[in-house]
Amino acid sequence: MEPIRFTPSPPYTMGVELELQVVNTRDYNLARGASDLLERLGRITLPGAVKPEITESMIELNSSVHARHGALLAELHAMRDVVALQAGKLNLAICGGGTHPFQQWAEQRIYSASRFEYISDLYGYLAKQFTVFGQHIHIGCGSGDDAIYLVHALGRYVPHFIALSASSPFSQGVDTAFDSSRLNAIAAFPLSGPMPFIESWDELNAYVAKMYRFRIIGSMKDFYWDIRPKPEYGTIEIRVCDTPLTVERAAALAAYAQALAQRLLTERPHRPSRDAYLVYNYNRFQASRFGLRGNFIDPHSERHLMLADDIAQTLEQLAPYAEALESRAPIEELRRSVADEHNDATWLRDAYQRTHSFTDVVRLQARRWAGREQ
Amino acid sequence: MPTPDFAFLPDFPPPLSALALFGLLLLAGLIGGHLVRRARLPAITGYIAVGMLVGYTGFGLLTAELLVQARVFVDISLGLLLYDLGRRLDLQWLRQDRWLLASGVSESLLSFVLVYAALAFYGLSPLYAAIGAAIGISTSPAVVMLIAQENRAEGQVTERALNLVAMNSVIAFVIVTVLLSVLHLEYQASWVNIVLHPLYLLAGSIFLGVAAWAIALALGRWLGKREERQFVMLVALVVLTVGGANMLQLSVVLALLVFGILVKNFDRHHRVLPLEFGVRAQLFFVVLFVVTGASLDARYLAVAGGAGLVYVAVRFVGKALGVMLWAPLSGLRPKSAALLGLTLTPMAGFAVVMVQDVWGLYPEPDVQALAVVTSAVVLLEILGPVAVQFALRRAGEAGAPR
Repeated sequence: MEPIRFTPSPPYTMGVELELQVVNTRDYNLARGASDLLERLGRITLPGAVKPEITESMIELNSSVHARHGALLAELHAMRDVVALQAGKLNLAICGGGTHPFQQWAEQRIYSASRFEYISDLYGYLAKQFTVFGQHIHIGCGSGDDAIYLVHALGRYVPHFIALSASSPFSQGVDTAFDSSRLNAIAAFPLSGPMPFIESWDELNAYVAKMYRFRIIGSMKDFYWDIRPKPEYGTIEIRVCDTPLTVERAAALAAYAQALAQRLLTERPHRPSRDAYLVYNYNRFQASRFGLRGNFIDPHSERHLMLADDIAQTLEQLAPYAEALESRAPIEELRRSVADEHNDATWLRDAYQRTHSFTDVVRLQARRWAGREQ
Repeated sequence: MPTPDFAFLPDFPPPLSALALFGLLLLAGLIGGHLVRRARLPAITGYIAVGMLVGYTGFGLLTAELLVQARVFVDISLGLLLYDLGRRLDLQWLRQDRWLLASGVSESLLSFVLVYAALAFYGLSPLYAAIGAAIGISTSPAVVMLIAQENRAEGQVTERALNLVAMNSVIAFVIVTVLLSVLHLEYQASWVNIVLHPLYLLAGSIFLGVAAWAIALALGRWLGKREERQFVMLVALVVLTVGGANMLQLSVVLALLVFGILVKNFDRHHRVLPLEFGVRAQLFFVVLFVVTGASLDARYLAVAGGAGLVYVAVRFVGKALGVMLWAPLSGLRPKSAALLGLTLTPMAGFAVVMVQDVWGLYPEPDVQALAVVTSAVVLLEILGPVAVQFALRRAGEAGAPR
């Protein structure tokens, strides 16, 4: 296997990928409609790109590369509106959220028969949970070594991204008690979790080559790490976020990642350490289970505090970077959300409390995504 | 006086009770549906075939008298189906994609015009040709809904087909009703009949639907979003509306469609849950098709089979053209549009009822027209389900079978 080359990209540029739900407007279950929708979108010039996914009830929005939050948000708004308009013409609706609250996986007509069989043969009952929707955030890095450093340094903040994006409290028609139940589905993949303890681009190459020789992987793409380098784009990719309910939150999360990346690579506050990973799974679980109210252990100071407080402190540290990156507004939005201990999972649970119907929850979710309800 | 011996025994043969009849029809349908499944045909085809075997066309076991008894089951099934269908007519969709509305209107009108021309060509009187053509506007809601359900079909062809079926059912009903006043005129009925009969039918049926809708909203609010309760509520209201329409000699079709359409489109607070009777009402649907098959008189084919075939062909051309005309603007691929046209081919079993009702109004009706329309219905009851299943599968919208 050839060593992988990291193609550098302008540092701290950002881009997002959003996996979105395609639902019908009768009972708001997942719909079979992605290919018809993509066919329509194919005839329209769009900013960014819209791509098919493995299921017929999922599409993926890919933004272009941006240096500033404002431009990213404007592009996401434009894409959202075009997609919503075209979906409406097919009597479909689009919504965010990490899971669909009540779809029964086996009932879906969304997989080709052979793929359905392959997945359920391989994963058994776990296969049920695989229709999940996430946001991926890309941050540009100047070199492979920077990317590796950043992956480790961001590890401490993985719970932040989980709690701020969490939007999958419901799954298969029940309240899972988790703020992000989607992460549990992801955990079923054998090559998920944090990147192994690798400290340089060369070490990564050696690791990948070894895994390739074991024939565990075919390429870098087979690693489903929480944060992974993406050498062909010259980025690191944060993959733990649920797709938020609004493009505003999606863009704010990207702005947060951007400011964090700049601070971490500029100040290099800690050397990557194996010890930092001792608390990793604990923190990750707390965030996906309890959201902003989860417990957080700082791997460096060994202090316990509420996750919301740790995020609030981090946001404060980022103020000068946000200023320079022109992202004060999204950082302020996140600060308010943390102060209120309110994320999208809270919003979804409130919606269910009000309506007592998952159909209504998805209907409201779709309205919220379309920007017709704040 | 001493009671004669064996007085406790029923007459021989004992009269068939309605319940026994229901059970027998169900069993017959079950067997038919199971037999055709091996041939990869839709179960509906099996129900109809069994019906034809025991009905007029076959052994004549299901007499006219028994068919009247079975009418109540047929009405319940139709009521449930039409409510479901009404819920498929999505006004918001029609607003967002006006070309869909255009296809609904144009496929209805084109098939009407073409069938009218064909019937006139066969020498039918203009009035009966028009009524015959108007009846052909409607696509069978029962066939399209149940084939979609049996194949777990979902996608643009399926969704559009159901919307179009709802639209053309309403259009067909309105045109037939208007033609009814022309029929009264023809037979020199009094002005009261000419004006008030169609008006009574339209306004009365719509009023029934509106009443059911108002009760559903009020009860839905009171019961809350509990699926099991709302399910009972909806069955009750559907059956009540069907019964009311029968009692008042109004249209079951229009009343139930209006009920469904209003619930889907005018429930601002979303009080009524989006429940579909679908699989839950399967029992009634089996009986519906066995009875439909039994009521078909295939002997008409011998009289007017050729004309019936022409009727079927031009009607299909009208519907397919009407849909394909607007497909590019509606963003539908040509292949999907053609398949969508194909899904509109089945003719409603209740078309037979409409035919008989209209033809029974006055003595000496045009029997030839009756024969042609009935032949077309017979042909389409056999071909329709297969065509719809083929179209939905070909469109790639069918799921794994249940």
